[in-house]
Amino acid sequence: MEKQKNISKIVTLIVIMVLSAQTLFSQKIVRYDLYVRDTIVNYSGKEKRAIAVNGQIPMPTLTFTEGDIAEIYVHNELKETTSLHWHGLFLPNKEDGVPNLTQMPIQPGTTHKYTFPIIQNGTHWYHSHSGLQEQIGMYGMFIMNKKEDDLTFRKGIDDLPTIPVILSEWTDLKPENVHRMLHNASDWFAIKKGSTQSYSEAIKQGHFKTKLGNEWKRMNAMDVSDVYYEKFLINGKNESQLAQFKGGDKVRLRIANGGASSYFWLTYAGGKITVVASDGNDVAPVEVDRLLISVSETYDVIVTIPADNTSYEFLATAEDRTKSASLYIGNGIKQLISPLPKLKYFEGMKMMNDMMKMNGELDDMGMSMSLNQMDMNVVMYPEITGEADNKEKKTEPKAANGHEHSNHNKYDANALANITTLNYAMLKATEKTTLPKDAPVKELRFELTGNMNRYVWSMDNKVISETDKILIKKGENVRITLYNGSMMRHPMHLHGHDFRIINGQGDYAPLKNVMDIMPMETNVIEFNANVEGDWFFHCHILYHMMAGMGRIFTYENQEPNPLIPNPKLAQRKLYADDSAFHIMAENDFATNGNDGMAMIQNTRWSLGAEWRLGYNDMHGYEAEFHLGRYIGKMQWFMPFIGFDWRYRDMEGEIEKNIFGQKNTKDHRAVLSAGFAYTLPMLVQFQAEVFQDGNLRLQLMREDIPVSNRLRMGFMVNTDTEYMLEARYILKRNLSLRTHYDSDMGFGVGLNLNY
Amino acid sequence: MVATFVLLSITINAQINNATTETVTIYGNCGMCEAKIEKAGNIKKVAQVDWNQETQMATLTYDAAKTNPDEILKRIALAGYDSDQFLAPDDVYSKLPGCCQYDRVAKIPVKEVAMEDHSNHANHQDMKVIATSKNTELQTVFDTYFLLKDVLITSDASATSTAAEKLVTALNNVKMDKLEMDVHMVWMKVFNQLKTDATQIATAKDIKKQRHHFVTLSNEMYSLMKVAKYDTTVYYQHCPMANDGKGANWLSKENEVKNPYYGSRMLTCGKTVETLK
Repeated sequence: MEKQKNISKIVTLIVIMVLSAQTLFSQKIVRYDLYVRDTIVNYSGKEKRAIAVNGQIPMPTLTFTEGDIAEIYVHNELKETTSLHWHGLFLPNKEDGVPNLTQMPIQPGTTHKYTFPIIQNGTHWYHSHSGLQEQIGMYGMFIMNKKEDDLTFRKGIDDLPTIPVILSEWTDLKPENVHRMLHNASDWFAIKKGSTQSYSEAIKQGHFKTKLGNEWKRMNAMDVSDVYYEKFLINGKNESQLAQFKGGDKVRLRIANGGASSYFWLTYAGGKITVVASDGNDVAPVEVDRLLISVSETYDVIVTIPADNTSYEFLATAEDRTKSASLYIGNGIKQLISPLPKLKYFEGMKMMNDMMKMNGELDDMGMSMSLNQMDMNVVMYPEITGEADNKEKKTEPKAANGHEHSNHNKYDANALANITTLNYAMLKATEKTTLPKDAPVKELRFELTGNMNRYVWSMDNKVISETDKILIKKGENVRITLYNGSMMRHPMHLHGHDFRIINGQGDYAPLKNVMDIMPMETNVIEFNANVEGDWFFHCHILYHMMAGMGRIFTYENQEPNPLIPNPKLAQRKLYADDSAFHIMAENDFATNGNDGMAMIQNTRWSLGAEWRLGYNDMHGYEAEFHLGRYIGKMQWFMPFIGFDWRYRDMEGEIEKNIFGQKNTKDHRAVLSAGFAYTLPMLVQFQAEVFQDGNLRLQLMREDIPVSNRLRMGFMVNTDTEYMLEARYILKRNLSLRTHYDSDMGFGVGLNLNY
Repeated sequence: MVATFVLLSITINAQINNATTETVTIYGNCGMCEAKIEKAGNIKKVAQVDWNQETQMATLTYDAAKTNPDEILKRIALAGYDSDQFLAPDDVYSKLPGCCQYDRVAKIPVKEVAMEDHSNHANHQDMKVIATSKNTELQTVFDTYFLLKDVLITSDASATSTAAEKLVTALNNVKMDKLEMDVHMVWMKVFNQLKTDATQIATAKDIKKQRHHFVTLSNEMYSLMKVAKYDTTVYYQHCPMANDGKGANWLSKENEVKNPYYGSRMLTCGKTVETLK
């Protein structure tokens, strides 16, 4: 007995020694060297510029164990500046990698060292936070393993073989051009996707009234995503196979959505998907048939390979369902899963019409939506609400009489079909996540606002450069209520902290750093302010962020950041992102003259020129310039000042407008003031008073979508001028145009636009 | 004549640049299959498929610079036709017209065998045997029950019959003497009722009758599962409206309510009343 006791004592001692030795050793430094270089890639059959790190896209997977110290050397071999942001990590603010906010941009030809202790575990990722570099290759996985003796180590989950999976997308267009086109409301992406939702398509599908209603409420065609992509990628490939696994194996996929603007549906041919973590934080395992991973979110899922000699398709389908990427898990013949059926756009349009009030605000009809549980988009999903029925009205599946649920279940995907889709209410932390009880609470409320037509995205109708940083105190609990009053969903991301999503799981509310919020939803998140610094809180759709949808949290009385030697300059550069001007121009080279316009505009201001240049003096030459400012959330109203110049040889003939005011077109150079207002049916009303007292009222509508590629337009004004046009879009920058103009007569020509 | 022939063949070949030809197996039955297979595979100027019903072989002619056989075969599989590279999604296959439903090579699911590797640890193994033998005998019965329940949710009477037939077979295949004592006792009590209900569901052509028998079937199955245990958590769920307002229960592997007594008419009516672990 005595001997045994001694032995056990010795054993305990040894164990303690080994353990303490391990903690000592596990403080090891893990170093990575990242070389950022320009490269040429070919994803779609065309050679295009991209950025590779250590010669690869995605960037290399960086792996650490909790307790390590990370040392990452970034060697910028580009001709432009760069930066790397460690998405979802807890670290000192100066290591967060936001250029002009937490550090100055890494200059070409220089090396920047990031170093921070790894004080958490889980699936995360990293990406460039400079300009639009993330779109062209600068994304990669950042994985932090649990220590083996971690008390939260879950048998059957944390000991499974893991595969990093990073999703992304590729466009052949330069991202700067994508950004510009979005701001100019180009419908090229819709044409490529086949989602123009033109009048002829509407009539064919029995939705003429829906389309009219939509334009009456001043909406353009609706879509679930903005950009057309040539390819979608899983770990940089459209299709790939994990042949190292066999039947019966369970595999843990660590999935991060590194796409710049695409949400992905995840489905698996081998059965259910078990979700075990989100944004690097463990959640109680939950089995689902599918999940939608929003931009920049991460999920850890477990899939099982049901049979031998078979490889099961893990399918990532872009939310707009145009294309997908596949990963085959297992060895052998490939078992496919059905692709997601195409969206019923006109059903979506009808739904939008119902929700949209005449003043451009959304009306949730008392449904108080939250946590992705009600998905208005289900009306577009054939697998849930049935195939599109062109002519006849569908007999809606009537719920039993007087039964309590029926109405509000109209949009609950999980109640409507035998398919279980993950939503935030289903996530439950494995441990209590409550915040310090006695800390003061700071309440904040933001409305997410946006304007699709002008691609302005903001919070409380203000972009980043129009607001001050939001001051918080170290130690307080910050509770944020978010309401999405815009028409698109937004994945909101907070730097440097995890927040709790208040989702009905009480003390076990899940911790995340990204929360997707759908139109009309209200969600509450909260976090304890525990690390000083300037932390970005923004929509992670790259083009929304660049448009200014975000805020900066900053701690009161904090130490200055040594990496920002000139804070004023840094701030000016940071604000330059969302106040940048976008150029557009077009000219019609027609038989009766040249007809064109150019515009340069930003969030609030617009400077435009329009011209009509005939080929002889009889037809005349004229140009108008307008400088205006967009007012209001919907930006329908724009007061402006202008200058009008024209020359036309009319042999002294004097024209009268319908108010009886006289006017000569012979030679005229006048200043003006007026306003433009967008009327229902998207008709532009313009009222303008010239310095000689003349008044001109004008109605104009361009780009009436007649068919997928055919557009019509008209203009009429009180100077008894009028114009009618039809345009067939041949290519992104080229259309065939025919028009009749009261001044210049009939013409046919080629329209070039930029 | 010869000239036309030559011209014709030129036009055919001229359609596809860098033409490469490959012969592959694609499984199918009839003339309709041929049309579907070829339509799914063909892309103007890029790929052309010529499938032969007799040999089940297809000649793929394609522009090697633009596509590859895998892309073509994937499209064909997504239309419902297996090849040696791809298996069609099950739902797509089952939606093929009856005449097109060729015989598929069934995949053999992997049975989860618990911890075989530890066989030299005599003690451990004994423990395992005891722990798992409780339900290995009944595993198929439970699995087919869940299958039957899932089919009932879809309100498809003929598919329900098929699933119930499988349940009858599974019930008959249980070797009573291999059951644990306590399980054995319950089994003796419920076996006859289970079999009667399953047979009734299998023979009934009316979904209402099938659902009626599913009420008692589920009750007996619950008593059995309470003792025998299933691998994963099972939820005992209750809908107060079913069975003409008398209420009825069922078992499910998911906590999410999917009502087998109403299907899409009232899919989420009901709640979990007990969780079996």
